[in-house]
Amino acid sequence: MKIAVCAKQIPDPANEVTYSNGTIERPEEQVLDDTDRYGIEVALQLKEKFDAEVTIISMGPSGTQKGLQQALQMGADKAVFVDDESLEGANSLMTANVLSELAKSLSADIVIFGTESTDGYSGTVPQQVSRYLDLECISYVKAVEINDNVTLTRQTVEGSEKLNMPEKCVISVTAGGVEPRYPNFKDIMAAKSKPIEQVSISDLTINTTQNLEFIDIETVENSKSGEKITDEGEAYQEIVNKLKELKVI
Amino acid sequence: MKTLIIGEIINNNLSSGTLEILGKAKSLDLDVQVVTVGSDENPSIGVDLCKQTYLKRQNNSLNLSKAATKISEIIKNEEINLILGSSTYMCRDLISFLSVDLNSSPVSNVIDFDVSSGNVSTVNSINGGESLYKTKINSDQALLLIRPKAFDPVEVNFNDDFETIDLDGSDLEVFDIFIEEKSGPQLEDSKVVISAGRGMVDKENLELIETLASKLNAAIGGTRAIVDAGWMPYSQQVGQTGKTVKPDVYIACGISGATQHQVGMKDSKFVIAINKDEEAPIFQLADLGIVGDTLSVIPKLNDNI
Repeated sequence: MKIAVCAKQIPDPANEVTYSNGTIERPEEQVLDDTDRYGIEVALQLKEKFDAEVTIISMGPSGTQKGLQQALQMGADKAVFVDDESLEGANSLMTANVLSELAKSLSADIVIFGTESTDGYSGTVPQQVSRYLDLECISYVKAVEINDNVTLTRQTVEGSEKLNMPEKCVISVTAGGVEPRYPNFKDIMAAKSKPIEQVSISDLTINTTQNLEFIDIETVENSKSGEKITDEGEAYQEIVNKLKELKVI
Repeated sequence: MKTLIIGEIINNNLSSGTLEILGKAKSLDLDVQVVTVGSDENPSIGVDLCKQTYLKRQNNSLNLSKAATKISEIIKNEEINLILGSSTYMCRDLISFLSVDLNSSPVSNVIDFDVSSGNVSTVNSINGGESLYKTKINSDQALLLIRPKAFDPVEVNFNDDFETIDLDGSDLEVFDIFIEEKSGPQLEDSKVVISAGRGMVDKENLELIETLASKLNAAIGGTRAIVDAGWMPYSQQVGQTGKTVKPDVYIACGISGATQHQVGMKDSKFVIAINKDEEAPIFQLADLGIVGDTLSVIPKLNDNI
């Protein structure tokens, strides 16, 4: 079984996202998107049961490759990435085009994603990749049971439903779906000798265009100049009064 | 502009998200039709405003890709230029599939859009609503995923006047379909919402929130952190990846107010926030902020309401 897992390097989410000409500004050192840790965890659990090869696929400015290292530290075998100036500010379709080409080049049977990235959160790339690869997409997976069969539980608008994982498919995993593992010192050292390969965009078939044109970012005044009261035991009374005034009680 | 709205069914009628988009499309005077995807036996989803087509799925297999293929056909045959769907699980899947078929990248998280001289432009809310990101779409077809509550729903009378197309199932069999029980006021339409965050410390303490909610006839929500921790079902998550609420009164209990949460509640009319941390970002959105321990404030509220 060959598994490709998507890992996105993003600016440290502790800092506010900043934009330059409509594109997210990316520092040299980016980190692994926590959202992707859930997908990587699922891949590693499959590897443990089925002896799979797990390859990280990634697109975007590679910089110090810290995020890729973090993905390898969890236990993936190797990483391939595309980093090309022509992809700066790539829309979701272009991103999916590149990632599906990478998955194809690896002959991946199973391609796994988080549900949406923390910085761009368009939430469409896993489904788009499945369409490019002509595979079914099992989206919003919130639980995985691995026995001889693999049973996936999908989140639906009304509740949930289960499916058996087919031999080939694309999966997106919701945050909280599984418990991502923390690498130990040995894992961190081992990751340093794992292969990371850059793939040239000229080796891939890309036929998407930048159909979305950035116009403008406008700041809106959001903050309210509300009352702020420090509770010294009686602040509940302020809430009660306000709820009466608003005719809630 | 020829427009197709992907409709969804909730409680045998069109979902509120679908009606919100239809309201906006009508206000822009677009040439609109609805194609609804669902598995209900006999839904009442016809509307007198426009043409309705029902793509009926089998609920025992996952076949959204087949639904997308059918919609692609309709788009091509009828020369549709604008495709709209709500940011729900199903529409995110469908619009993503369509974007590949039409080779046009979609715009997600749209809170407003406009059509002028054949061009579609969109507005997204970014950084937790602190900024608006504006985009112009230069492809022949525009695909938009629209956040719930962005527009006012259109008033409609439902009828049974629509064409039904049965979709084939797929090899991917679905089993153990579980429908979450919904009791009490629902998040989307409740006038009062009480949400819990990590400041509630322990799952047991949610009882305090439940008591308050029953006194105020309020719906209960939570942050992603506590949903991930298993304290509440996913259906109660408020925020970027969860629900968007717009109640008259929103009471945030022990919520710091990460931008991802703010997106889901910032349009509430009156916000009351209780948090220990004076610097918590939630206070910037609060009309009434109480700096204090939620676990000591709520019991007093419960005793005095």
